[in-house]
Amino acid sequence: MNKRLLHTALRNISRNKRRTILSATAIAVAAMSIVMLFALITGMTNDMAYNLKNYYTGNIQIQHEDYAEFERFNPIHLMVDWEDVKPALEDIEGISAVVARTQFPVSLYIDETNHGAIGVGVDFADEAAYHDVENIVYEGRLPEDGKNEIIMGGTLAHDLKLEIGDRVTMLSTTASRGTNAITMEIVGIASFPVTNMNSAVFWIPLDRAQYFLRMDTGVQSVLIKTDEDVKEKRLIPIIEEALLKETGTTFAVDSWKDINMMFSLLKLAQNVYYFVGIFFFLLGSTVIINTTMMVIFERMREIGTLSALGMHGKELVRLFFLEGVVIATIGSFIGVTFGVVITEILGRVGIDFTDAMSGMDFEISSILYPEVNIPLSIFVFFYSVLIASLASMIPSKKAAKIEPVEALRYI
Amino acid sequence: MKFLITFAFKNLTRYKRRTLITAGAIAVGIMMYIFIDAMLMGAEYESVRNLKWYETASARILNDEYWENRQQLPLDLSISDPDKIIDRLDENGIIATKRISIGGDLILSSQEFGEDGNLPVTVTAIDPSTDNEVFHYADTLIEGRFLEQDEDAALIGSWFAEDIGAKIGSWVTVLARGNGGFYEAIDLEIVGILNCPNPNVNRTLLMIPFDTADYYLAMDGAATEINIKLSDLADVDAELPAIQELLNGDDLTVMSWTAMARDYLALAEAKRGGTGMILFLIFIIAAVGISNTMLMAIFERVRELGMMRSLGMSDAKIRIAFMLEAAGIGLLGSIMGVILGIVADFFIINVGIDFSFIMRDMDIGYRIQGIFRGAWNPGTIVIAFFAGILISTLVAYLPTNRALKMDIPSCLRHQ
Amino acid sequence: MKIKRRPLMIMIVMLCIATTLSAMTAEQIMREADERQTYDSSRSSGQFKIKDRFGTKVSTFDAWSKGADESLIEFTSVAERGQKVLRTEDSIYLYYPDAEELIRMQGSALRQGMLGSDISYEDMTGGKDRLSQYDIVLEEDSELVFGRDCHVLTLTAKTRSVPYPKEIVWIDKENFIVMRAEYYTKSGRLLKEMETLSVGTLSGIEVATETRISDKMKTDTETIMILDELEVNIRIDDDLFSLDELSW
Repeated sequence: MNKRLLHTALRNISRNKRRTILSATAIAVAAMSIVMLFALITGMTNDMAYNLKNYYTGNIQIQHEDYAEFERFNPIHLMVDWEDVKPALEDIEGISAVVARTQFPVSLYIDETNHGAIGVGVDFADEAAYHDVENIVYEGRLPEDGKNEIIMGGTLAHDLKLEIGDRVTMLSTTASRGTNAITMEIVGIASFPVTNMNSAVFWIPLDRAQYFLRMDTGVQSVLIKTDEDVKEKRLIPIIEEALLKETGTTFAVDSWKDINMMFSLLKLAQNVYYFVGIFFFLLGSTVIINTTMMVIFERMREIGTLSALGMHGKELVRLFFLEGVVIATIGSFIGVTFGVVITEILGRVGIDFTDAMSGMDFEISSILYPEVNIPLSIFVFFYSVLIASLASMIPSKKAAKIEPVEALRYI
Repeated sequence: MKFLITFAFKNLTRYKRRTLITAGAIAVGIMMYIFIDAMLMGAEYESVRNLKWYETASARILNDEYWENRQQLPLDLSISDPDKIIDRLDENGIIATKRISIGGDLILSSQEFGEDGNLPVTVTAIDPSTDNEVFHYADTLIEGRFLEQDEDAALIGSWFAEDIGAKIGSWVTVLARGNGGFYEAIDLEIVGILNCPNPNVNRTLLMIPFDTADYYLAMDGAATEINIKLSDLADVDAELPAIQELLNGDDLTVMSWTAMARDYLALAEAKRGGTGMILFLIFIIAAVGISNTMLMAIFERVRELGMMRSLGMSDAKIRIAFMLEAAGIGLLGSIMGVILGIVADFFIINVGIDFSFIMRDMDIGYRIQGIFRGAWNPGTIVIAFFAGILISTLVAYLPTNRALKMDIPSCLRHQ
Repeated sequence: MKIKRRPLMIMIVMLCIATTLSAMTAEQIMREADERQTYDSSRSSGQFKIKDRFGTKVSTFDAWSKGADESLIEFTSVAERGQKVLRTEDSIYLYYPDAEELIRMQGSALRQGMLGSDISYEDMTGGKDRLSQYDIVLEEDSELVFGRDCHVLTLTAKTRSVPYPKEIVWIDKENFIVMRAEYYTKSGRLLKEMETLSVGTLSGIEVATETRISDKMKTDTETIMILDELEVNIRIDDDLFSLDELSW
């Protein structure tokens, strides 16, 4: 019996192509938009996560045990010995890249006045293995190890009226709790993907930062990038143990999710976006429900004919439900596929919002790369099928209860 | 023509169910569009409002040299007779209030706070009688009372209070440099706690009365800034030259909030791109939803159309009749949608959604308050209304035209 | 300042100590203390022991001075070797070996502690015009500090441009060494305290060889200055205190 019903359902679907296409399109577009919206959201939040992981904390951050407690006082002397820590991390599985960075507040001494800024010492060779560091260069080039060279955030350079080739003197507190000053040359202007960084941060070679800040082989923090499938929580005890064995010291080893501020920022953004996402589901659902219900109402006469021919109510509901399921499956499949393909393409090319920012003095490139969220796309597929199928049941149930004669009269 | 309108209207009322379903689809699409737009607008507007209400005001008058040296919070680069300037502004119908920004250290004693500590703070001295005409701090008072003139008392941001463990009645000491450079320590009783929706402020705010600062720091009546409130609708940059005119000869400059908050505005600009994409997607779903329902509604009626043709009605008239019907449905749907949208907006704008539990302890640069609220965007409502009617009418054209090209018997046989 | 009169002053002081000590006015006492700390020229070396919440660090220095207004400190300890602080009549300049320009400290930058200590750059310049900037009153003619009989002077600022509106100073009656000083805010809260922990004789001159300065608004911080060597009235090249020479 089921086979016969399925057969009838399929025949009905292929017989009335226009109707099938219409309702399938509605489902497809709804499914596609939802997939694309979430790809956009995933793209935006991943972008944020990427920035946090690459420019702030890494997946895992290693610092001196007491650093966080005294952070307010700029305790640059609470450092991690890079030469001890580096070899300890080398053989740990699940680590894909490691960089050392030292961030220090400075006064830039320009024309007899002091301007606050944040310097960061980085090892440009290590950075290249960690992320696409060349990408931050807006003008000029990256500094070279061993040379007193700076790459400065574009907005900061603009605010201070500095250009490539200018020499600036910076003053900071050293690891020996004294002060020191050094003059360096600007060789590059950076466009950091984080606005706050552009207006405050400059990078110098790590070895020069160590020299300037009297840190010897110490660094302020070590950022670890983990392999894609590795959970930070699992890796942290392994790292802690390896560090203890190698150096005999306990460090603060934290997942980026536990460095409270950063992650909660991301969570907030996600919540706002997902809230918008809920409305996409709602709107998508109404489009699906509406179309499906229209289709069934349109077929009241057909229902009348079928029941006049002796088809039972239950069978009728089943028939229409089956048709609904088939159309919904086709529609969702097409929609989700299209959504995935389009976002995949956009994800490669990127959506460029740079134009929107051209009114500014310093152009920040802002290219958004949507990212397909596979589990969610699968969910959207089943969700759309379910909604459409359920939606087809309501009117057909009602139709099955109507007297054949009445249904036949229905326009 | 009159006949056609009556005809379309009759059809709409006769097939109530179909009209309602189709109009419903349009309404939902329009409502959602309006609603989401209000949410996204809210994110933007709220942050601007937080900035103007709690940080920058609409514009600020400063000593010519102050802005360049603002990081040092210099007390000597001041406005020597702020009341004179405020009176002058008042004569021109501009509301203003004077303030002093003071850099110092907050000293916490172990008797009050469990352990000794000191941390850098920026103290804002306000004129309790006029500050609330420009800023909106009084509305954010959650505990205690607002400041009174000339008392050794302070208001504190609720997050700041929580961080250091201060309560109403706690005493704190502010160590600062007076005008000229002498040291002064001011003991202050916390009399009120403010829960300012601007997180940047809520984490750092410490406010004292103007007269108190004036006395202890020997300001001789001078202020470091005069803040100006202009109407929300005013084009601030356009008003500035007139204000600057009033200041000539006093070595003072007026700055707009956009000039003061440049970094922030750049960030907002970047967010707008993503927001636009989301709106575009929702527009697509809504448009497809509307067109689809409309297409269905027309196809369903091809037989009816065949009937009309066989009875001798001209193709042109039929086309107009059908499109009029579609426009009618679009109008109905748009009205319903706009009404629903406005109701939904009322909720999101007046009640909002509370996200504050995750806002704690972070600096996001984007000044969204804990309670997320939408904002009215009349432009979108109008656009959505007309788009609803236009899309339904245009979409009706295609299937009607196609049906009119078929011969009458196939129309009549049409399922 | 009054360098030329010094030999005469010393003779007068010698007589005073023996005979008319108590008859000195507050201003005279203050002036005498200042005079004794001011040399035609001097070369000294010593160390700072700076204690903050993170522990104690030691920096050593060589210093030269000429009169009351010009001085040069050069740090010799590893962490800050080669750094110099030059004080001229109206400015403080910092020289760092790796910086291409001199950093002139002015305005609020002067409020920072030198080397993170409790001594601000401002404190270094502060003492020079005390006589003109403060009203000085002899509060108590005799009080014991670390077993030494001292004058107690109260200084009240005449202007707002001094950091400490009120100071109380204990000056040893015999050698005019400031044994103790307290620095107050305008409303009278104790901010900083200076104590002379030991007095010694270097090159035949009695000087405070160990001084402790502590910030009373912070807990667990103090700076101890120890003077190891002192030579006075030696020949010093004038160029030593010129800006050009500083960045040689």
